[in-house]
Amino acid sequence: MSSGSQVVDHSALKVNQTGIVVTVLVAFFGSVLYRPLLVLIPLLAIVLLLGTFAPQLALFKQLYFQVLKPRGIVKPRPVQDRPEPHNFAQGLGGVFLVVSSAFLIPLPVIGLALALLVAVLAFVNLAFGYCLGCQIFFQLEKRGFVRA
Amino acid sequence: MSAQLWALAVVGAVVLAAAGLETFRAWRARSLSTGATSSPAGDPYIVYFTGESCTVCRTHQEPALARLEGVRIDKVDAVAERELADRYHVYTLPTTVVIGRDGVAAHVNYGYAPSPKLERQLADARRAGLQSAATA
Repeated sequence: MSSGSQVVDHSALKVNQTGIVVTVLVAFFGSVLYRPLLVLIPLLAIVLLLGTFAPQLALFKQLYFQVLKPRGIVKPRPVQDRPEPHNFAQGLGGVFLVVSSAFLIPLPVIGLALALLVAVLAFVNLAFGYCLGCQIFFQLEKRGFVRA
Repeated sequence: MSAQLWALAVVGAVVLAAAGLETFRAWRARSLSTGATSSPAGDPYIVYFTGESCTVCRTHQEPALARLEGVRIDKVDAVAERELADRYHVYTLPTTVVIGRDGVAAHVNYGYAPSPKLERQLADARRAGLQSAATA
């Protein structure tokens, strides 16, 4: 286990979670009136997975680092933390959205429910600081399935 | 629209089931926990389970515990003290356990517990202790 001496800007994580919640909600409720908006769900899956493996491609985090932070719209909140659990949680969200996207056409109820679950979990993290993906990461790490 | 409504119902059911499971787990942990960590005759105190990689512990739980004045807090590393953590079914960090005057767990909180909630639980534990002393 690493010592946990790295610094993570939690404002970037919050912007990322806000982006996930807003995108899923726009796709979910927007698709009632305009069905093609459902395409936002696979797009969000791509954004999350790209951001997991190449942080410079993480759309919402880049929005924070390139626009919101330099203009003082969102204040930085550096916290001594490990980035790996948060990256894992983001990747897990991306995988769930890939599965959700696969179900959107044949079984829209399952597809929409999975996407909404991702949004609910992102909201729980945003509002209450509870990160289910991080908990899964810690459990897997404790059992030796993943290594930071 | 019907797909959206069904999806909302499914997610609502999942969230309700998770909340119910969490409530049951907390209730079961409270009813199963019979061991005290120390000083059974003293004032109620808190056993605070934390871990090296717990962010919420540092950013939320520890400031909340610091706001409790004059309360004994036993900080426990949940990974190092596995046996004690298992006794209270600690699978989420932070977890806080309010131990009553009789040394038995009065309340178990899985996840972040704000200071007003902990104060309420400590007051409950004090009242329960006084009642049992009066009836003894």
